[in-house]
Amino acid sequence: MIRLEKINKTYFGAQPLHVLKGINLHIKEGEMVSIMGASGSGKSTLLNILGILDNYDSGDYYLNGQLVKNLTENQAADMRNQLIGFIFQSFNLIPFKTAMENVALPLYYQNVNRKKRNQLALEYLERFGLKEWADHYPNELSGGQKQRVSMARALVTHPKVILADEPTGALDSKTSAEVMQILREVHQTGITMIIVTHERGIALRTDKIIHLKDGVIENIEINNPETIDFTQEIK
Amino acid sequence: MDFWQEIFMALSRNKLRTFLTGFAISWGIFILIVLLAAGNGIMNGVSEQFSDKSTNVYMIYSGETSKPFKGHGTNRSIMFTDKDIRLLETEVRNIDQVSPRIYFNGFATFNDKSSRVFMSGVRPVFKDINNVKMMEGRFINELDDKNREKVIVIDESLRDKLFDEGTFPLGQFIFISGIAYKVIGVCENLEYSSGGNDYVPFSTLKNITRQSKYWMLNFIVTGLETKEDNEAFTEYLRTKLAHLHEFDPDDTSAVYIRSRQEEYLQTMKIFNTIQLFIWIIGFAMLISGIVGVSNIMRITVKERTNEIGIRKALGAKSRSILASIVTESLIITTIFGYIGMWLGMIAAEVGGNILAKVQEGKEISLNIVPSIDIRIVLMATALLIVCGVLAGFFPARNAVKIKPIEAMNYR
Ligand SMILES: Nc1ncnc2c1ncn2[C@@H]1O[C@H](COP(=O)(O)OP(=O)(O)OP(=O)(O)O)[C@@H](O)[C@H]1O
Ligand SMILES: [Mg+2]
Repeated sequence: MIRLEKINKTYFGAQPLHVLKGINLHIKEGEMVSIMGASGSGKSTLLNILGILDNYDSGDYYLNGQLVKNLTENQAADMRNQLIGFIFQSFNLIPFKTAMENVALPLYYQNVNRKKRNQLALEYLERFGLKEWADHYPNELSGGQKQRVSMARALVTHPKVILADEPTGALDSKTSAEVMQILREVHQTGITMIIVTHERGIALRTDKIIHLKDGVIENIEINNPETIDFTQEIK
Repeated sequence: MDFWQEIFMALSRNKLRTFLTGFAISWGIFILIVLLAAGNGIMNGVSEQFSDKSTNVYMIYSGETSKPFKGHGTNRSIMFTDKDIRLLETEVRNIDQVSPRIYFNGFATFNDKSSRVFMSGVRPVFKDINNVKMMEGRFINELDDKNREKVIVIDESLRDKLFDEGTFPLGQFIFISGIAYKVIGVCENLEYSSGGNDYVPFSTLKNITRQSKYWMLNFIVTGLETKEDNEAFTEYLRTKLAHLHEFDPDDTSAVYIRSRQEEYLQTMKIFNTIQLFIWIIGFAMLISGIVGVSNIMRITVKERTNEIGIRKALGAKSRSILASIVTESLIITTIFGYIGMWLGMIAAEVGGNILAKVQEGKEISLNIVPSIDIRIVLMATALLIVCGVLAGFFPARNAVKIKPIEAMNYR
């Protein structure tokens, strides 16, 4: 599903910062992997490149068999819209739209009609236990609720890949466990999932942990998440 | 359809932002219009005061030759005829209509009242030449002159001598030396005048008095902007007349050419200065309005950078985001722009009425009459709207161009 070959990325700020140094990575369809590493090791940078939110300097990135390089803006927008769902630490919901409208927004950009959009959005909110909150604005929701809204938004278009940057970073341990359980269930439907996290408890709930250090992959740890009880709070 | 619903929702959910942007635009246009109206008001007041000096009037008087020329001796008096009128009207581009002034001394009666009258036979253009101010009715027109109508424009003093308080002079017939003239207008008395301010058509009086030689011609000249222009024009006139009457073009006593050019030029200078001043103020207002509107548009777009980033992450195309932002700003600027325009015009109108009440009946040196030129108002409004939209467009285009992740993390 995802193949990275010798990906390099340098930020040209006051001082050039070589963040990703020749990353090679292969993630198969339906895999659920996590990325760990120290702060500043380049996790978010890597994830943003995977999500075509940022560009890379050299190397090749194949997504769903297609080379992601020198895309036009419209091609990039279409790929994001059809293949990728994002979950962010800070939720990134649009404040003046209700929970339902936020979930329905990606469908607007797929030219789905209004009625269908809202119906689908409600379905997904119901799935995450938020039916009663459909008409509430983001500032009326708790952190866990907001993250569930953003998960509904990420999933409503049936993407092939979910990219989550510290999805539990702003949540307490109980809510984090709930979120991970939902993500696990989503993964069960066959969606490829990449989660950036600081917490080992979260990482252990994925199939593989990719350890990033100073812009290179240090090692890849294989887990056995079946042994973990997802209903348990994360230590 | 969906597109418009999205737009309407974005506008109504962000009421404060919509209102602030709209208010900035309404206010800008409002102030602009009120100031333009005030400026025009001052201008109107000034032009009313100077109206008798705002035309370049020429007068030609007959004289006597002082140099022999082509077999003619000296001391030959030069009088004007219809030939001169035709020559000036047809061959000189800067002259529209020439009016001689012929006089008649008589006795006017109406019912049992009578008065001496000293009347002038003139053509329609004389109203502007002598700055005749009508109080009622109208001045002599082309038809009156063409058909030798027996009509008369009387001044206040003659009216008071012939008509009782309750009698309405317009349409009445007064008798002057056995001929009945219909009163078509009443004009103000001239302040400094030796009489001759009751007017009948030139052709009528010419026919009655059997005159064919005139000693004075009056006309308005257009298009002379400087002293040099006027001097050259005077020379040109003298040459033309010298040719027709066969006198030496250098003979300055054959005809006397006088003009009110100095007063005229001075007045024009004052007018132009005021006009320039008003334009500068208006222009400054317009610029400050544009800057204000542009700033608020820029700020709102900056504010929306995060939203733009999120939308892009969800798969929005740049074109679609740009289209909604521009449409939103177009709607706001248009609606609020027109609100501001109407409020400004209402304020100018109301202000004008109040000023008129205050000034009524008082001896004020300057009457301020606010007025607005609807074309300028519309143009200014349109300009502000266009600038507002452009001011929203460029930052929006920049915000849409940057990478989605940068837009999302923008703070
Ligand atoms: N837009 C940018 N311009 C310049 N430098 C950047 C930019 N974004 C990130 N960096 C730098 O690149 C390095 C990697 O950043 P990145 O956000 O990928 O780290 P991370 O692994 O996600 O860290 P964290 O765990 O703190 O989120 C950091 O040193 C960061 O300061
Ligand atoms: Mg990060």
